[in-house]
Amino acid sequence: MHKEGKKTALHHIFVIFCWIYAAFSLYPLIWMLFYSFKTNQEIFVTNPFGFPWPLHYENYITAWTKYDVPLYFLNSLLVSIGTVTITIICALLFSYATSRMVWKMKTFTRLFLGLGMFIPVQAIMIPVVKVVQKFGLMGTRWSLIFPYIAINLAFACMVYYGFFKGIPMELEEAACMDGATIYQTFFMIIEPLVRPATVTLVIYIFLNAWNEFILANVVVGSIPALKTLPLGVLFFQGEFTTDWGGMGATMVIASFPAIIVYSIFSEQVESAMTIGGAVKG
Amino acid sequence: MKKYMGNKLAILLFILPALAIFITFDFIPIIQVFAYSFTDWNGLTMPNFTGLKNYLDLFTDRVFFTSNRNQLIFAIVITVYQMLFATVFAITISDKKMNGRKFLRVAYFIPVILSVTVVCQLWSAILSGEGLLNKLFEVAGSDFKQNWLGDRYKAIYVIAFVNAWQWMGYQFALIVAGIKSIPADYYEAARIDGCSNVKAHMKITIPLLAETYKFCLIISLTGGIKAFTEMNILTGGGPNKSTFTLTYMMYNAAFKKSDYGYGLAAASVMVIECMLVMLVINFIFRDKDQKKEEEKARRKRNA
Repeated sequence: MHKEGKKTALHHIFVIFCWIYAAFSLYPLIWMLFYSFKTNQEIFVTNPFGFPWPLHYENYITAWTKYDVPLYFLNSLLVSIGTVTITIICALLFSYATSRMVWKMKTFTRLFLGLGMFIPVQAIMIPVVKVVQKFGLMGTRWSLIFPYIAINLAFACMVYYGFFKGIPMELEEAACMDGATIYQTFFMIIEPLVRPATVTLVIYIFLNAWNEFILANVVVGSIPALKTLPLGVLFFQGEFTTDWGGMGATMVIASFPAIIVYSIFSEQVESAMTIGGAVKG
Repeated sequence: MKKYMGNKLAILLFILPALAIFITFDFIPIIQVFAYSFTDWNGLTMPNFTGLKNYLDLFTDRVFFTSNRNQLIFAIVITVYQMLFATVFAITISDKKMNGRKFLRVAYFIPVILSVTVVCQLWSAILSGEGLLNKLFEVAGSDFKQNWLGDRYKAIYVIAFVNAWQWMGYQFALIVAGIKSIPADYYEAARIDGCSNVKAHMKITIPLLAETYKFCLIISLTGGIKAFTEMNILTGGGPNKSTFTLTYMMYNAAFKKSDYGYGLAAASVMVIECMLVMLVINFIFRDKDQKKEEEKARRKRNA
């Protein structure tokens, strides 16, 4: 039983400050949600700050029917799912071979792929466009999926490597005695053991791919049929007589999946996102 | 057993997909960035080797200095803003008796999971001429109203602020995780010795978070060097190239002027700057670790 020390005035100031900042952090988002239900007249003149009433939910209908939002949504979804699935498979296999199997160049190979952690996406956008063109992927969703896999691999492999290292070698020995092939051992015994890492990585890579802008902008920025939601949101840029309500609705729809994922798995999302920081450097 | 785990075919099958994708879409591109930065490549015809010409042009380009200055401002603004607020909030929230801790964590973290384009579009609506911020000043009866992104001296600070606003929650979560790993006994001991809460955090929490701060510093400083998206969406590099960064120079040179070689020279400098920052930070923090070791050794000897 320990006695709580007396709270200083400073502590109370900090607590108040925490709440003020929380309002500052949330209000822009709430404002976005509000104006997605307003008309231009309300946003600019009659009711810029408060709760929207009546609810102009027709903004969402406009966004969904007029601004190609379903198409962008589908593109984002397919690209994200493709990226997550293939990255996870490649990273699992690669990390298994470099952490537990026995061969000469394994440390070198692992560190070589680890270089990916230090390659900024910003720097490689021009050559990536050229490579994608060379492979004839331009105009398909693979033009985004492959580069996304490449930029997420190094991190995924590093996380898996740590997990694989912690599994006792006896498991494979036992499996070998029982006559399982190496493939059976991997898929039936080892892979299920690293499921927690897989969950974390799925969330991390999904959010990365869902929100990615820099490569999407240069690879599919000029192809309307392949644009992802982050690009779709920019559709409204530079149009002065813009339909603000429709833009708000598009932005809310674009943020919805990420917020859903976060509200279900908030702990995992936070640890998934911050594990990225902990490995960098 | 050794033969079992040394199955050459299995190893090859396991490493090949990852290696092939990484080499094709990440490794070859970065090599090309450096290789083509020494050529007059225009994206279509065969490049000719031009030696250091692109780099010499770059170093005499006035925009190059504006870019580096902007990156520095951007890096300093986001580093100070994020680390200061994140530390204060994380320490305040680490008090388990506080009400609404869960809510505050969510409030700080939500901007992190949004797309950077949504955040930029949102802030561009807030900062625009008839936007929320100017409306607020109008209601408050102040004539502070202005075009926030239109001033060539202020725009970069405003852009950096938008980035800092979005990513503060990220560093907050990092520091919260760091604080969680500090054993509670330390604070117990400090209290028994009559140490105030604030002093305990200054003497225990912050020094023990050195490793976390290293990550935070690397992320925000290299984030400043790599800054691009916010400029691209909020100002388009303007007004009058005053919010250019090296990445934006590359983007502009390549996609607006088809001067790929020159753009890639800018990109190469950017990558090298990132590497240098990482090396320097790692060096500074390693130095501290070593010093601590030495200190410890000395104390042991004296005891």
